[in-house]
Amino acid sequence: MKRMSIARFYKGMNLTAFSLVMVFLYIPILILVIFSFNDAKIITGWRGFTLKYYEQLWHNDAIKDAFRNTMLIAGLSTLISTVFGILTALGMENKNFSGRRLISGLIYVPLVIPDILMGVSLALLFNFTRVNTGMITVLIAHITFCISYTVIVIQSRLEGFDYSLVEAAMDLGAKPAVIFWKVKFPLMLPGIIAAALLAFTLSIDDFIITFFTSGRGFDTLPIYVEGTIRRGTITTINSLSTIMIGFTLFLVVITKRIRKVLISSM
Amino acid sequence: MSKEPRTDWQRQQKQLSKQQKSRNLASWALTAPALLWLIVFFLVPYLIVVIYSFLTPDIYDVKFEFSMDAYRQAFNPDYLRTLFQSFKLATFTTLLCLLLGFPVAYFIARAKDKTKNTLLVFIIIPFWTNLIIRIFSWRIFLAYNGVLNDVLMNIGLISQPLEIMRTDMAVILVMVYVYLPYMILPLYSVLEKLDFTLLQAAMDLGASEVKAFFSITLPLSIEGIFAGSLLVFIPALGAYLIPQLVGNQRTLYLGQVITYKIKNIPRNWPMASALSLTLLFFVAIMLILLFTLYRHRRNRGHA
Repeated sequence: MKRMSIARFYKGMNLTAFSLVMVFLYIPILILVIFSFNDAKIITGWRGFTLKYYEQLWHNDAIKDAFRNTMLIAGLSTLISTVFGILTALGMENKNFSGRRLISGLIYVPLVIPDILMGVSLALLFNFTRVNTGMITVLIAHITFCISYTVIVIQSRLEGFDYSLVEAAMDLGAKPAVIFWKVKFPLMLPGIIAAALLAFTLSIDDFIITFFTSGRGFDTLPIYVEGTIRRGTITTINSLSTIMIGFTLFLVVITKRIRKVLISSM
Repeated sequence: MSKEPRTDWQRQQKQLSKQQKSRNLASWALTAPALLWLIVFFLVPYLIVVIYSFLTPDIYDVKFEFSMDAYRQAFNPDYLRTLFQSFKLATFTTLLCLLLGFPVAYFIARAKDKTKNTLLVFIIIPFWTNLIIRIFSWRIFLAYNGVLNDVLMNIGLISQPLEIMRTDMAVILVMVYVYLPYMILPLYSVLEKLDFTLLQAAMDLGASEVKAFFSITLPLSIEGIFAGSLLVFIPALGAYLIPQLVGNQRTLYLGQVITYKIKNIPRNWPMASALSLTLLFFVAIMLILLFTLYRHRRNRGHA
């Protein structure tokens, strides 16, 4: 009987811990969202509902520029790093490949080094080569930190790959190109989509590496937000943040949908 | 002229190795773009960091004159203190994440399959939310005239606003907040595979919950603990944004000092390089240590 109650105690403790962590994770975000509708200049107390900060957001050209830059960089770096990821994962499929260790080392090492070091090293590279920092340098940096993630995600999908399907296609006399596009690629697709989404969110999210590789005049949203917080003019940041949180939720829902559609289509 | 292979087996082998060679070549071709990219934009930049660390600083740039000053400065007590602060922060963050994350991961792992996914999504949403926004939301929550102080004063728990923002405590709090999902997810993935009947068996044999936890659950989830700690500790060592936005300027962390040396004028890029390499060195040591420990445990487990 006593043991029963201990078990229940543990279960209760875990539930409590979970609930506390949920509160911990969501309270600040929730408050941020609520206060984006607060009709007050500074963050004290509730002064009534307003949408004026969303309106201000709409008229703020700096934010619009930053948004455009963010999407451009995220889109391009996702595309390029995903293509790199697909090619590398396919190349690494060969278990006897002589460059396997070298390449997997190069892929994994960036993941276990603090971001800031990649920022510093790229900043020095661009200084050393006298390249003007701006869109291109930010794009290069984002591709560099996305590659590791796209390769690993796509590779892990290939590892659980059912080769009997490829063999079956070969036995039926299909050409390699046909096998790739009709059998292999569709099976890789969920991994590719997961990799692309990961690269996209990482790119949108990045502050520190962008901070080191962007010059004056090329702000992404995180850079713009940080600058605004530092200068203390934060009224529009609440509403901007709320929209970005909405975007995150949208992505989460979309991924679930995509996954479901993909699974059901196979 | 080479001798003809004598048997079918040899012919087959020769053909096989030829096939292997061409497959190897194909693999090199497929991996070449990423390989070249990472050499040019990942390895070469570190080489430049090494070179710059031996140069002389200039107000805006570097002078190409050899100097060891950067290293001499990097090991003076002020900078060693910064390094110590970063280690302290990373250690506390990792331990707190582990302490908080373990019961949560355990709870999710033992939930019903259907609820599991929903619970996981709840952990992942903040993880996907923009980092800077999450930090910013804490500023609103903890500020002197912020929501927390407002609420506490309204209930009458405190008469004066607490000064939490811009303290070391705020930095640790937000660090734990940001890195918690990185701990929970790997812990969950090992706990999910854990065979809970083992626990039941141990308890049926008379082990207490506590004993069963320490002799079964904990050893079996060690891989997740290592992975999670790695994912938290290493980025925490280089933290810049969180100390910068919620901390104070009295306690500086390594990430901040490196950034100031690169961004603020007068610039001191050799110094930033030397500090970066010091950080890299400690990360490398940590990694080697963790992996030896991990391998040691694993070998012992198999023996």
